[in-house]
Parts: sequence; structure tokens; C-alpha cells
Amino acid sequence: MIGAFVGEALGVLLGNRLRSALTIVGLVIGVAAVIAIQTLGKGTSGAVAGILGGLSDAAFTVFPNNFQAAASRAALRPQDIERVKRLVPNIAEAVPTGGIARQVRVGHESARMLIYGETSIRFSNTPLRYGRAIGEDEIAALAHVAVIADRAYARLFPDGRNPVGESIRVGERRYVIVGVLDKPRTGVIPLPLNLDIGIPYTTYVKEYIRGKTVFGARFIVSDTSKMQETEAATVRALVALKRGKVAYQTFDRRTFSSAIDGIFNGLTFVVAMIGAVALVVAGIGILNIMLVSVAERTREIGVRKAIGATRGQILLQFFIEALVLSAIGCGLGLAIGIAVGWTINDLVLVRLSGFVAPIPWLQSVAIAVGFATLVTLLFGTYPAYRAARLDPIEALRYE
Amino acid sequence: MSEAAIELEGITKIYTMGQVEVPALRGVDFRIERGEYVAVMGPSGSGKSTLMNLIGCLDRPTAGRYRLDGEDVSSLDDDALAAIRLKKLGFVFQGFNLLARTTALRNVALPLFYAGVPQRARDAAARKQLAEVGLADRVEHRPAELSGGQQQRVAIARALVNDPAVLLADEPTGNLDSQTSEEIMAVFEHLNRGGRTIIMVTHDETLARHARRRIRLRDGLVTSDEPNPDRLVAEGEASGGTTQLHGTF
Repeated sequence: MIGAFVGEALGVLLGNRLRSALTIVGLVIGVAAVIAIQTLGKGTSGAVAGILGGLSDAAFTVFPNNFQAAASRAALRPQDIERVKRLVPNIAEAVPTGGIARQVRVGHESARMLIYGETSIRFSNTPLRYGRAIGEDEIAALAHVAVIADRAYARLFPDGRNPVGESIRVGERRYVIVGVLDKPRTGVIPLPLNLDIGIPYTTYVKEYIRGKTVFGARFIVSDTSKMQETEAATVRALVALKRGKVAYQTFDRRTFSSAIDGIFNGLTFVVAMIGAVALVVAGIGILNIMLVSVAERTREIGVRKAIGATRGQILLQFFIEALVLSAIGCGLGLAIGIAVGWTINDLVLVRLSGFVAPIPWLQSVAIAVGFATLVTLLFGTYPAYRAARLDPIEALRYE
Repeated sequence: MSEAAIELEGITKIYTMGQVEVPALRGVDFRIERGEYVAVMGPSGSGKSTLMNLIGCLDRPTAGRYRLDGEDVSSLDDDALAAIRLKKLGFVFQGFNLLARTTALRNVALPLFYAGVPQRARDAAARKQLAEVGLADRVEHRPAELSGGQQQRVAIARALVNDPAVLLADEPTGNLDSQTSEEIMAVFEHLNRGGRTIIMVTHDETLARHARRRIRLRDGLVTSDEPNPDRLVAEGEASGGTTQLHGTF
């Protein structure tokens, strides 16, 4: 029975294409805007996750605040890092950050590259292309082994061969290659997640730091759920160690992505509000056109009643017309919104981050269905009631 | 004779306009047997529209008893009246009152839609009924693509598709020229010969001469009710060449 009413409603709406189209324009735009921003939001947080995807979520970095009176006292030395590692619970590994530039040679190839200290638990989660990561024993033994990143590999081994077992020369020293990293999944934004040549951090400290201060320290925690406590404890330990008014900042993947998410959530909220206002206006538009439609079709309603339609049937008919209209409007809005959101994602965010976010179908469909229901209930009921209440004799006389 | 198609006893209708009570019908009694062809006549203000609305179950009498096809419908509620209209009455209006943007087929099928008949059966019945009025080749046309006479024939098909006890026509040729009027009268003649009960409300003397019986109203009362001995018999082709209508009286 309902199916027949939907068919009847479609017949009426298709018979009045222009009026039907004008009725739903506002709804289409409103729903499309909300869903587009929704899709874009997913794309953005996906892009942020993608950019930061190379960063291990078990790692955090500590560095002294640059603008402080006691900047030189606050500066970190390798021994400070070692001491904090022993003092603070939940820290699995700690190394100096940053790298140092040196000329690196393999056969005839030679390039200036950044060398950094690596641990057995890698800071980045970039997968390995060849070989393996640096091992515990090599760190303990201050071994001369290296893991090379993708760009360094492409520069030093242009023929693309597996270089594991070969060695590179840095000044007087030789390092045996044990692994090669793959491309990091960060898209075109050149985040220096992997410097060029990773060597055991113990070797790095001995060969290249030699008691100098470092830019900062990177820590790996055993239990990622206690990340914040560990960061706070690390800072407290450093302050105690330096015995003075020194200040340190910590930084992890979560702080970065939540900062970006926060900005975007604010933006989403504003656009959603604008969308909601647009939808209310669209709803009132539907109400208005439905009322006009009822007035315009007074005679038709009279005929339908004379033929034997009950109040309930007339009510149902107009209600279903409103429902079908808003369903079509919201369906179109859904399609356009996803198309627009996806296109912008594809053109901008995916190129930027190299990360393809899944389209949030479920949420988008929920939004569209929700709005269709709401608009129908709020703005379709009253015109339908007006139509049902018409007196057939009056309605038939209506010119 | 079993039950009459229509039995009116002391039908009174009083409209209240503010403080003033205006009687439109002041005790109308008559009986229309099944298969009759009756013209209800009267000048404007005579109460014939009110009577038409009451017979058509669009309104309830203030007093009196109305039995339609054996069922007392004087005091039914709106929904029950709608059900009666759906089952037992077919309306033909002066202005055709077809749904403008809907095909002839869907227009004719409309009563069956409200009766809850499935689409396939609706379409089949509507096609059959359109063929009956000579429009078998016009089923997919919209009202604007049809002549006045054809539109009224679509309206007649719609009125008959639910096989009503009574066909009620309100000035059915008021918007048509005399030749087309004659065509419509031929359709009515054909239907009446097939046993259909027809009540036609009109102020047009010529038109009323087609009916077998004439009831005249004035000031809300029946002033005359008599058979029509020298009636006009419309001759014409009413059903696309398959059924020829001939005046044989």
C-alpha cells in the first residue's frame, strides 16, 4: 500500500518537474555542503595521519625551550640522556636527535649526507626494503654498521642493487650496510622522518658528538598508554638534573595530530552550523512550496476526496510526497557532497599527503537520511494535514 | 423490485451563516429505482447543488433519511462516507476535473488506487473502461492532449471504473458544444441501456429531455416528478467502432 503511494507521489512529482526541482534545491545544497565538509574532514585527518604515519606512536622528543635565560645550562648532552633513561620508568630507549652532515662514499658515488643515531627499536615505522634493523648487540658493541634511507640508497646505489653486506665510507670510517629503508609514506611533504644514514646511537655519540650538546633527545616508551606520564616524568627528571629554572618541551605524534585535528574540528563545526542554517531555510522553503502546492491543488484534492479518498489517504499521500521529495533532495545532496568532497580530497589532500582516506559512507548516509526524516517531519506534516482537512465540496468549487 | 438505488425521506438541509439559518432543502422525498435515468432540474438557488452533494455523500442532511443502495448513509462519519463514495458512487463534473499532468489511464485508475487494488489490476480495469467509452487508443494521453468531449469521456470512465451503484453527473455538458454534448448523451444512453443508474443534475431543458424521468426543484422542494414520454435519444458512436449505439425508441 505504501509502495503504491510512493508510486503515486513519484507520478505527481515527475508531472511537476520544475516545481519539484525548485523545492529541493535548498535541501540538495545544504546536504551536499554538510557531507562535503564531512568527507573533507575525514580526508584531512587521514592526511595528517598519513603524514605522521611514519612516526612511531611509541616515540616522543624532548628539547630545551629556545628562548630561556638559562639556555646554555638547559642544553642536553648525551650523558644527560643516558641518565634520564635510567631514572625514568617506562623508557625503553633514548638517543640524541638530529644528524650530522658528512661526505659519504661508495665506490665512485659520493654525496654529503646526514648521519643519525638509531636504536634497535626504530623511531620511524618505515618498512625495510632490504636486510634488517640495527641489533642490540651492535649498539652495545658500538659496531660500525648502517641502515640507509631510501633517498640515500637511490643516490649511492643508482643501479638499484641489494647493497646489504657492502660498506660505505664516511671519512676514515667504514660502515657495513645491514638494511635499506623503503620510501616513507608521507606523500610530497618532505618530513625528515628518516635522515640518510642510521648507525648505532652509541657509535654516533662516540664518533660525532664527543661531549658536545645535542639539539634534543628522542625517547621510546615500553607502554604507549603511559605516554603522557612518561613525558612529564622525563621533563621533571631533566629539570632536577639541571638544578635550575630550565624549561623543556615535549613533542609526540599525538600532540601534533591533535593540534591539526583541533583546528579542523573547529572549522567543521562552523561549516556544520552554516549547513544547519541552510537546511532550516531549505526546510522552510519546502514548507512554503508544499503549502502553495496544497493551495494550487485544492481542486485536485476535492476530486480525490469525491472519488473516495479518505482523510488518512490524503494525509498519507501528501506526507509521502514530502518524504519522496526530501529523500530525492537528500540523495542528490549525498551524491554531490561525496563527489565534491572526494574530488577536493583527491586533488589536494591526497597529492599533499599521499594518503587516500576512505569515504565516510556510513556517516554521510546517516546525515542524509537524518535530514530527510527531519525535514519531512518538520515541514511536510503541516501541509499534508491542511490538505487532508479540506472540505470536498469547497475544494471542488475552488477556482 | 428489491431495494431502490436511492431513497430520500424528508431530507432537510439548513446552512447556518453567522446568526441566520438558510434552508436549502426543506423536506425532499423521492425514490430512484435501479436502472433509472433521472434528470434533477431547477434554477440556481433551487437547492439542486445541495441535493447533488447529499446524494453524492459529500455532505450529510440536517434531517431526514437517505438510503443509498439499501444502506442508510444519513449519519455516517467522514471516513465512512468516503468509503461509500469509493464503492457506490461515480462522479462526472462539469469541468471534467481530471488530474492535468496525469495520463488518461492513471486518471481512470485513480479510484482503484484508493480502493487498494494492485497496479496491474488497476491498469487492466482502466484500459477496459476507457475502451468502453471509445478511448482505447488514447490511454497514454494527458488531458491537455484530448478534446473536451474526450476529456469528459475519460471522466465518465473514471466514474465507472469501480462499478458504482449510481452515476452522478453535474452539468456534464456545461463546458461542451452542442455536438459534443450529444456525444456524451449517447454515452449515457448506452450506459443506461446497459443497466446503469444515472442521475444528472442540470438546468438545461434540452439536456434533461434525454432522461427517462425528470425531477424539478424549486426553493428546496420537489415541484414536479414525472416520466419523460417524448424523450430525445442520442445517437452516436460511443466506443471506437466496436459498439454502435442506435436510437430504437
